[in-house]
Amino acid sequence: MTNAELTLDRTRGNALPGDFAIWIFIFAELAVFGLLFIAYAFTRAGNVELFNASQSLLDRHSGAVNTLALITSSYFVVRAVAAIKQNRVAVCARWLFAALGMGALFIVVKSAEFYVKFSEGVGLDTNTFYMFYLSLTFFHYMHVWMGMVILAVVAWKAAQGHYHAGAHTGVETGASYWHMVDLVWLILFPLVYVIR
Amino acid sequence: MNTTTNHSTAATRIWLVLVVLTVLTWAVGESHLGGPAIVALVLATAFVKGQLVIEAFMGLRQVRALWRIIMFAYLLLVCALIGLGYAVGLH
Repeated sequence: MTNAELTLDRTRGNALPGDFAIWIFIFAELAVFGLLFIAYAFTRAGNVELFNASQSLLDRHSGAVNTLALITSSYFVVRAVAAIKQNRVAVCARWLFAALGMGALFIVVKSAEFYVKFSEGVGLDTNTFYMFYLSLTFFHYMHVWMGMVILAVVAWKAAQGHYHAGAHTGVETGASYWHMVDLVWLILFPLVYVIR
Repeated sequence: MNTTTNHSTAATRIWLVLVVLTVLTWAVGESHLGGPAIVALVLATAFVKGQLVIEAFMGLRQVRALWRIIMFAYLLLVCALIGLGYAVGLH
C-alpha cells in the first residue's frame, strides 16, 4: 500500500461499511428482533412446560443446518468484499453467487420445515409457543428473502463490472445487511430450538 | 494485497470457529440437555458467535468505537435478558 492508500484506509476506517442508510435499517431491524426475542423469553417464563413440550417437536436438524448455511453464506460474502477490494471483480461476483446459493439452501430447508408444520395442522393459534415460533421464524424468513434480493442485485452488478477496488460501497452495503440476517438467526436458533 | 489475503485466512478461521460452536449448540439440543448451567453455556456461545460476526464479518473491528460499543451492548443486553427470562421461568 502507498501512503496515500494507507491514509485513505484510516479515514474510511471510522465509518460503518457500506451506505450509512442501510445501517439505520439494520439498527431498526435489530431492535425489533431483540424485542421479539426478549418477549419470547419472558412469555416462556410463564409457560415453561408448554414451551418445552412444543419445542421438543421442532426439527432441530433443519435449524442447525440452516445456521451452518447462513454462517457459510456470510463467510462467502466476506470473501466477496475482500475480492473486490483487491479489484478481483469476477472473483467477487462468484463469491456473491455462492453466498446466494447458501441463502437458497436456507430457504429450501426452512420452507420444508414450514410445510411439515402446516401439514401437521400447526398454526398461529395452536398455542403460545407456536405463535412465537411461526411469527419469529417467518419474520426472519422474509428477511432472508429480502437479503437474497439485495445480494442478487449486487452479484448481478458485480458480474456486469459495476464495482472495483475504488468503488465497492454497494458490495459492502449488501454484505452488511446479509450479516445482520445471519446475526439474528445466531440468536434465534438457540433461543427457539435449543434452550429448555 | 497481503493484508487482504491475511484477512481472508483469518475469515476462514473464524468461519471454522462458528461452525464448531454451532455443532456444539446442536449437540446440546440433541442431548435434550437443559438447566441453568447449560443455558448459560448456550447463551455465552451465541454471544461469542454474534461478536465474531459483528467484529470480523461485518468488519466493525475497523470502525469507530461508538458503533462497536452499540453492537456489543445490544448483543450483551439481548443475551442477558434472554437469560433473565429463563431464570424467571425456573421459579
